Amino acid sequence: MKSKYLFFFAQAHHEFRLPEIQSLCELYGFEVRFVEDEPDPTKPFMIIEMEKEEHARLLAKRSILIKAVYDYYGHAATYEELHSINMQNRDKWEKYIPDTSFRFIVSAYNHTIPQRRQREVVETFAYMDFLGKIDMKTPDITLAVFEEYNLRHGVTRAKHEGDGAFQQVYFGRLVVTGSARSLIATFDVKKRAYFGNTSMEAEISLLMANQTLAAPGTLLYDPFMGTGSMAYPTGNFGAMVYGSDIDGRQMRGKGDTPGVYKAAHQYGISSKIADLCTFDVTHNPWRRGDLFDAIITDPPYGVRAGAKRLGRKRDLTPAQLEAYFEHRTSPTADTQPYIPPTKPYELSQLAVDLVLLARYLLKPNGRLVFFLPTVNEEYQEVDIYSMLCPGMEVLANSLQDFGSWGRRLVTIRKTTAESFPPPTFESKTEGGDGQDDRAPAHKDFREKYFRGFKEAG
Amino acid sequence: MVRLMTHNLLACHAKGCTTNNFPLALKDVQIELRESDFNPDFLKGFLPKLDWPALVLAARQLGDETLPLQQPEMLDDEFLKNLHHVLLEIHIEEGSMTCPNCAHVYPISNGIPNMLLAEHEIG
Repeated sequence: MKSKYLFFFAQAHHEFRLPEIQSLCELYGFEVRFVEDEPDPTKPFMIIEMEKEEHARLLAKRSILIKAVYDYYGHAATYEELHSINMQNRDKWEKYIPDTSFRFIVSAYNHTIPQRRQREVVETFAYMDFLGKIDMKTPDITLAVFEEYNLRHGVTRAKHEGDGAFQQVYFGRLVVTGSARSLIATFDVKKRAYFGNTSMEAEISLLMANQTLAAPGTLLYDPFMGTGSMAYPTGNFGAMVYGSDIDGRQMRGKGDTPGVYKAAHQYGISSKIADLCTFDVTHNPWRRGDLFDAIITDPPYGVRAGAKRLGRKRDLTPAQLEAYFEHRTSPTADTQPYIPPTKPYELSQLAVDLVLLARYLLKPNGRLVFFLPTVNEEYQEVDIYSMLCPGMEVLANSLQDFGSWGRRLVTIRKTTAESFPPPTFESKTEGGDGQDDRAPAHKDFREKYFRGFKEAG
Repeated sequence: MVRLMTHNLLACHAKGCTTNNFPLALKDVQIELRESDFNPDFLKGFLPKLDWPALVLAARQLGDETLPLQQPEMLDDEFLKNLHHVLLEIHIEEGSMTCPNCAHVYPISNGIPNMLLAEHEIG
């Protein structure tokens, strides 16, 4: 039988809430229904209908953004209304009347309720007539009242001003508190054995990991591995992760043991690092496609580190080329190890290539999860859609807003079972639908960032 | 730590090197054995992606003769355990991999293979 649950979310990354829930439902193979036709993702409360309480427990165990799930008893604009709804839902709580120990918590969002009124609110529920003892420490059940107030940020007001002028009040019984949020502290970059200046913060990397449906038995790949930020949370969820990077120094760090393995060891997931390889993803040695369940990556976008690919900005002159070959074929004793030259890899081209590469390397239904920085004022939804190719579909696109710019967590799914040839990484027309010539807002992001997002003058 | 699973997935990708570029020949390898979680479902799913002769060849070269020359049709527990060991628990720490076709040498150091191409080898 379907039942309604009240979800309480952490007040962070609100655009990531729905995609995370939807991904986890797919991972565990059940469906949920959002009770509101268009749930407002900015609100921390959401009512979701589910088959089983067990499903709520699964979500709360894995979701990074769920703070708690409550058995939903009702919500309304006034207490009067709430009580009348709650009385109609008597069958939900009747069984707790005779001898269940309980406690009430009264709390508010965007507001602090004075203690005296908290007590008054609890007393209004006296009609429920619970006979069990009140136990504030280890009760059998916790009943929670939440008043939701409008955001009054930056408005000077007296303490408790506007108390009682809430938008909605919610009531329910605590089912489970979210336990995955503690992973944010576990994977804190500051406490990590190995990290770099481009390492991804723990919370976002965990959210990304959930978008990949990482689980034991899945094989993932990060083509811009860097210091391995994506591998640790996905490995923690049981996936094996391949990493490659054009610059092996990022993965190695100092010392004999590569830094990525040091950090993986710290988290107890050494065996989840499938392997690390140094290569340029645009000249990659993968023997075949249809390999990975997900590709997860944070491509460098040029502010702290820029994406690079093999090649020279300017071709060598014939004389230089001759000298190069001579150097290569008959090295002298003091010849330094050869390091191939690299050139910048422009972001919008990289994004198109990444989707094509994912279509080649992913299994059917596999997911590509990556971050794309964008200039907020210029961004249009078409920017994401214009980098798609046939057989790839956008599942989610959530913004982490930094003001004038932001980065979008994009989740793309391979919808086809067809096999595709490896991309050439050369043709500008190969990917995208090519229907219009609009330059996406992430094109030349580096230049725009350092110009302060003003028009080129 | 190049596992044989990885060795089975990497081919020479130098410009124009498109035939006889797999499997890469292992040379002067130092190996280490490390335990890994046994997951039969993963192995069964991964089996179709493997090049079986290349895997058996590499395993035998490294002294592991537990895998049959012909890929068996029945996947019993003993076979899966052997496959698990060969694919995931043998790690090549040092050495190199050479392309049988163009002789490009891909060195492995501290378990990380360098698959970068030189500038005359890219398209």
